[in-house]
Amino acid sequence: MERPKPPLSVLIVEDEPLLAMDVEMMVEDAGHRVMAEAASLYDVEALDPAQSPDIAFVDMQLARNTTGLQVCSLIQERWSNTIIIFVTANPKKIPDDFSGAHGVIPKPFSRHGFMNALRYLQESVCTPPPITALPGSFVPSEHLAATW
Amino acid sequence: MVITDPSQPDNPIVFCNEAFQKLTGYDQNEVLGRNCRFLQGPGTDRCSIDKIREAISRGESIAIELLNYRKDGSTFWNALYLSPVRNDDNSIQFFFASQLDVTNHIVAKDRAIAQREEIENEVAKRTGQLEAALEAKTLLLHEVDHRVKNNLTMIGSLLRLQSRTIGDPEITAKLEAMMERIDALATVHRTLYQSDDVTKFDVSAFAVTLAQDVVGSSGRSNILLATDLEPILIPAGHASSLGLVLNEILTNAIKHGLREGRAGILKLSGGSTANGAEIRIDDDGIGFSDEPSKGLGRMLVERLTKQTGATVEWSNLDPGTCVTIRLNDWN
Ligand SMILES: Cc1cc2nc3c(=O)[nH]c(=O)nc-3n(C[C@H](O)[C@H](O)[C@H](O)COP(=O)(O)O)c2cc1C
Repeated sequence: MERPKPPLSVLIVEDEPLLAMDVEMMVEDAGHRVMAEAASLYDVEALDPAQSPDIAFVDMQLARNTTGLQVCSLIQERWSNTIIIFVTANPKKIPDDFSGAHGVIPKPFSRHGFMNALRYLQESVCTPPPITALPGSFVPSEHLAATW
Repeated sequence: MVITDPSQPDNPIVFCNEAFQKLTGYDQNEVLGRNCRFLQGPGTDRCSIDKIREAISRGESIAIELLNYRKDGSTFWNALYLSPVRNDDNSIQFFFASQLDVTNHIVAKDRAIAQREEIENEVAKRTGQLEAALEAKTLLLHEVDHRVKNNLTMIGSLLRLQSRTIGDPEITAKLEAMMERIDALATVHRTLYQSDDVTKFDVSAFAVTLAQDVVGSSGRSNILLATDLEPILIPAGHASSLGLVLNEILTNAIKHGLREGRAGILKLSGGSTANGAEIRIDDDGIGFSDEPSKGLGRMLVERLTKQTGATVEWSNLDPGTCVTIRLNDWN
């Protein structure tokens, strides 16, 4: 399979507009492109299925009573190559098998922490395995290494 | 005691002694010729009566306690011992029985049982209440933890967004330093609540995470991070202060010691010592000048270490800076 090259296309699923904006800017600072922002499962459903994101950052608690786990399965169904990363203040709510997702960035994250996690993910996607040391701000699941 | 004659219809009493008359309140002539069941009443346990009947029909002896009624209607607990009396050819000639008033004994036993049940109920009730309270507390703790995290995340986002709109590089730098402090606090909180014991904080694990964050996001691939730290557990109450102190020292090492893109090594080492613990942060940068710095960073370090009973020592290496944090006997 041909590996994507930077800039990567990133989907942000977050119902808190401030955080979404913040993440968006950090993603752009790192030289990537935010393909879309979504606040709920319905927003993700409304996206163009033909446009597959390389990485999706997914909050657990979403707007309109939907959850990150629902978004996670929708993404797996639609875009099987997308790397799914939960971004949540409640990592304990994530099932043991991560529901197929590739890792978690626990909130609160620092700019440092987020940027490091992003670099690690970029290397995982474009030039695996990553050479950067695993940052403390990111907890991968077994599914991430399976994509290398 | 009584003696009955099973050869007569319905096994009537043929003899009773003084004690029996006193116990039951009946005269001898009132009881002779009657079956003993006249002593029973509505409160007598049917099962016990069944057992007696079966024992009699099998020709066996039986010892049993049952509720009986006196002539005046008052009740007593009767410890009945009943036994067949056989003649030479082994056929049953009489039944013999002794009656003993054990009311006091039974009442005492009942009271003991009742009290135990009451205590058990009370214990079960209190346990239930405590479990419910604990569950509520745990839920509350999770909720508070969640909100603290979300608020810290929001504060971080707000500062990051604001810092983008400021043109003045000096103010931007200050805001960035402030953001890093908030980030350090966020990392403290995360480290604390991801651990199994929220009352203890491993400064070493935190220091490594923080150093990785700080070095990693400086985007300086020419800074090598070397860590050699044993776990150092401190009370959670000191976590934020020491977290901020470490943050000041680490960011100082990178922004000052290894300034202007200098390549270098940042080394973290330490562990327990005889009277506490020690963390050393070495860099091989430009070192520091002797004139006291008036920045907020140094002031934070001084004040916060004093508060936690720690000491910080700065020394010039050649080249570089060595900072030693000594944690003294915090127990
Ligand atoms: C010798 C003898 C003494 C008895 N003494 C008593 C007694 O003190 N109190 C009592 O309730 N029943 C006593 N009984 C039991 C009753 O007489 C009777 O056997 C019992 O109620 C079971 O039979 P039933 O089901 O026909 O009533 C005694 C029985 C015998 C043979």
